[in-house]
Amino acid sequence: MHTVSLLAVVIVYVLVLTFVAVRARAAREFAEFSLAKRALPLALVFGSLAATYVGPGFSIGFVGRGFVSGFLFLVMGLAYAVQNILVGLLVAPRLRSLKDCHTLGDAIGQKYDRKCQFVAGIISVGLCAGFAAVMAKAGGVVLNDIFDLPIWSSVVIIVGVTTLYTTFGGLRASVITDAFQFSAFAILLPMAFLFVVVFHLKGGAAAFAGEASTAVKNGFASTSIVEMVGLIAAFLLGETLIPPYANRALASRTTRISRNGFILAGIFSTVWFLVMISLGIAARGIIPEGTSEDHVLLDLVKSTMPACGYALLVVVLVSVVMSSLDSLLNAGAVAFAEDVVKPFVALKDKTSLDIGRYATVVIAAIAAASAVAVPGIIRGLLICYTIWAPAILPALIIGLWIKRPCPLAGILSMGVGTIVAVVFQFFLPEAIKVPAIIPALGAALLAYVVGHWLGRKLKVGRK
Amino acid sequence: MMGVVILILVVIGAFFVVASGVWVAVALVRAISVRETISDESYQTREESSD
Repeated sequence: MHTVSLLAVVIVYVLVLTFVAVRARAAREFAEFSLAKRALPLALVFGSLAATYVGPGFSIGFVGRGFVSGFLFLVMGLAYAVQNILVGLLVAPRLRSLKDCHTLGDAIGQKYDRKCQFVAGIISVGLCAGFAAVMAKAGGVVLNDIFDLPIWSSVVIIVGVTTLYTTFGGLRASVITDAFQFSAFAILLPMAFLFVVVFHLKGGAAAFAGEASTAVKNGFASTSIVEMVGLIAAFLLGETLIPPYANRALASRTTRISRNGFILAGIFSTVWFLVMISLGIAARGIIPEGTSEDHVLLDLVKSTMPACGYALLVVVLVSVVMSSLDSLLNAGAVAFAEDVVKPFVALKDKTSLDIGRYATVVIAAIAAASAVAVPGIIRGLLICYTIWAPAILPALIIGLWIKRPCPLAGILSMGVGTIVAVVFQFFLPEAIKVPAIIPALGAALLAYVVGHWLGRKLKVGRK
Repeated sequence: MMGVVILILVVIGAFFVVASGVWVAVALVRAISVRETISDESYQTREESSD
C-alpha cells in the first residue's frame, strides 16, 4: 500500500509537471531561451529565485542543522538574507538597466572588454556544471533512499527529466516549472511542521524552547569561531549573483521588479530558515539523538506522518532538486552561447538557440557523469561557493559601480581569484586556518587594484 | 512564556511561507493560462516599462 501510494503521488506529480512545462511552450528565439523575453512579473521572479536557492542544502541541510545546533545556524542563514537584500538594492537594478545584456559575462563584457567576457563565460559555465553536479548527486541520493534504485539510474532519471524541459523551453520553462515546484514545497514543508507541532510535539512550547536551548549550547560547543566566520562569509558571498540569479535579475519585466524580487527573496529566506530549523528542533524529541543530519527530515516524516504524507515529501524533495538543477543548466547553456561563442563568431538567432540547446544537454551530461565524484552535498556546494565569489564578484561589482573600469584589472582579478581559490581549496587546504574563500577574495581584490593601477599607467604611457 | 513566544513566531512564519507558495501558484496559473498575450505584450513594451 505504501509503495502504491508513493508511486501514485509521483506519477501525478510528473503528469502535472509535464502539463506545466508544455504550457510554458518551447522557446522560438534566443531572447526567449535566455531571458524569457524580459517579461517576468514579480511573483515569478521571486518564486523562481527562491526555488533556485532552496536546494537540498537549504531544506534537508537546515533541518539537520536545526536538529544538531538549533537556532545557531539561523545566524549564518541571516547572512544569506542580507546578501539577497543588498543585491536587490545595489546590484540587480544596475544589471537590469544594461541594454542587450543576457548574462553576467555580457555585463562584464560591456563594462570591460570581450576577453573579460570570455573568461567570465568560461568560469560561469564551469561553475554551473559544478553546481549542477551537486544537484544531480542530491537528486540521486533522494531517489536512491526512497525507491532503492541504483545511484547512477537515480541520477540519470532526475537529470534526464530536468534536461528535457529545460532544453526545449529555456528560461521561461525553467521559471514556470520553478514556480510550480516552489508552490509545492513552500506549501507542503511548513504544513509538515504544523502537523508535527499539533500532533507530535510532546511537552508543548516549553519543551520546544528547552530543546532549542540545549541544541544551541551543543552548537556553540561544537563550532569554532573560525568555522562560524567561514560559514558566514560563504553564506554572505558564495552564492551572490551566481548565473541563474543574474539571469532572473536580467529577465525581470522592469528594474523595480528586479530589485523587489531579490529583496522579497531575502526576506523569505529568513522565514524559510526559521521554519526549517524549527522542524529540526521539533524532531529532537521524536527521532533518536544520533540520527545523521541528512536523514533527520526523512526520518521525522517517516515516523510522524501517514503514508501519503511521506509520498508528498518525496515530491517536495524532488521539486527542491529539480528547481535548482533546471536553473543551473539553463544559465550554463546561455553563458556558453552568449559569452564563450558569440564574442568571436557572428551567429544567427536560430544558431544561437541551437547552441544553447546543445549546451544544455552537454552540461547536463557532464553534471550527471561528475555526480559520483561529488564529495557530499554541503561540501560540494561550499567548494563551488569558494571559487565563484573570488572569481567573479570583485570584477563584476566594481565594474558596475565605477565609470571606466580597466580590462586588465578585470582579467587579473578573475584569474588570480580563481587560481588562489583552487590552490587553497584542493592543493594546500592545510596551509591556512581560515576557509579558502577569504584569502581568495583578498587576492582577487588586490589583483584588481594592481591591474587598475597598471592599466592606467600603460594608458598614460601610450598617450 | 518565552517558549510560547518563539513557537508563535515560528507558526506565523510557517503561515507566511504557505502564503508565499499560494501567491506564486496564483501567478503561475495566470502566466500559463494567458501565456501568449502576456509574453507578446510584455516583449513589445519592455523597454518603455523599464524605469
